[in-house]
Amino acid sequence: MRSRRRPVSPPADWLAGPMMALRSPVEHVLGQALRRISRRQPGVFERLQAYGSAIFLIAPAQWPVAFALTPRADGDVKVVPASAPGDFTARIEGRLEDLLDLFDGSLDADAAFFNRTVQVEGDTGAVLALHNALEAAELSVADLVPVGGAWLDRASRSARAAARRLRRAAR
Amino acid sequence: MLRSAIEAGADSVYCGLRDETNARNFPGLNFSAAELADSVAFAHQRAAKVLVAVNTFARAGATDAWRRAVDTAVAAGADALIAADLAVLAYARDQHPGLRLHLSVQAAANSADAIAFYAANYGVRRVVLPRVLSAQEVAALVGEAPVEVEAFVFGGLCVMAEGRCALSSYATGRSPNLSGVCSPPEAVSFDRSGGALTPRLAGLAIDRFEAGETTGYPTLCKGRFSTAQGEGYLFEEPVSLNAMGLLKALRAAGVRAVKIEGRQRGKAYVARVAAAFRGAIDALERGEETAPFEKLLTDLAEGGRETAGAYRKVWR
Repeated sequence: MRSRRRPVSPPADWLAGPMMALRSPVEHVLGQALRRISRRQPGVFERLQAYGSAIFLIAPAQWPVAFALTPRADGDVKVVPASAPGDFTARIEGRLEDLLDLFDGSLDADAAFFNRTVQVEGDTGAVLALHNALEAAELSVADLVPVGGAWLDRASRSARAAARRLRRAAR
Repeated sequence: MLRSAIEAGADSVYCGLRDETNARNFPGLNFSAAELADSVAFAHQRAAKVLVAVNTFARAGATDAWRRAVDTAVAAGADALIAADLAVLAYARDQHPGLRLHLSVQAAANSADAIAFYAANYGVRRVVLPRVLSAQEVAALVGEAPVEVEAFVFGGLCVMAEGRCALSSYATGRSPNLSGVCSPPEAVSFDRSGGALTPRLAGLAIDRFEAGETTGYPTLCKGRFSTAQGEGYLFEEPVSLNAMGLLKALRAAGVRAVKIEGRQRGKAYVARVAAAFRGAIDALERGEETAPFEKLLTDLAEGGRETAGAYRKVWR
């Protein structure tokens, strides 16, 4: 079941153009990340098998763009305008720092849902499957951007700091 | 998550296979046979135990999945099987005589006679008590029960008699008892209107949370209803069980093990809760109080609120 609804948080439209212009390298890096994860932790995609054709819209709050994820080894991640994301199976919205924390399992998803840190809509089963697959894996920001050792912490901190800056800029 | 629990200090971890044979049959959750074997090996290397739940009720005419699950648990080296169905218990007893059997909370055995029946007929060695007994009732039962007693101390709180609740089945056709899933996610939706959130189960509005209001699980038992007496929570408010303050009393009563619910929760939850209870139990062992650990977990609770549940019940 796919839904097509308008996002609740108003994105900063003036940032959409520049960010969409940069989408190709970002999509390439994230697509590579999918393939890397499928090689290292194939169990993630096994758990998501029933949702291999699903489109998960990952929407950082107040960002002008969102990420449309198709969770298969040969899937992809597309950067889409937050205000016109196209069809999706499920949409997950929250601050980027919190979304990254959910990705690496350092934030409890149910608690984040209870206290409204993240919002979900669309196919609840798909959201739950994605959550459970990520929780069963041992993933970190390094699985998204291939860096290691001391660079890992730095990359993780930089991503979260960039998210804060972008959110401030979007206000 | 099993690894997180053990690394945080859990002595045993309960888990299930990726099918309808256990009461947490949610998409993307649970173990394949190979993952279970790996996890048991991981646990045993760290002197921890793995208890495999095959605790739903087998469907008439389609019991192979439950037999297969028991065999898979044994092949993986599980330390015990948690079951409720008489047929599953009988199969385990007959086919795997050395296998330790625990009676699941799904059996809702809340009297010494019921527990004795399972012990005498199936060789059950431990009973997991339903979450409807007061601390005094638990203490009395431990004195009479012929087997070890395990009690829930943290996590989701079913106020219904486990194994007999039909609310989810009434609304969706699927239940934790037979399908292993309460409020199956494919039947759940969340409608947003402004800042308000309306969870629905099979189209039925369960509640409406205003902006900033904490939410709960989308189960009918946690719903807000309009009745002749007014509007409110008819069965139970969104709240989580936290009986850490009763650990001392439960220990004194002879409760052998305490269980933390949360098999569908994440690594962050599992690690924090297991570490807090490990700390509290170790404090008790040293003759200290558990108070320093009792407020560490509130933010993980459903609805942001905790209760001692029936352990301190003042109703009948």
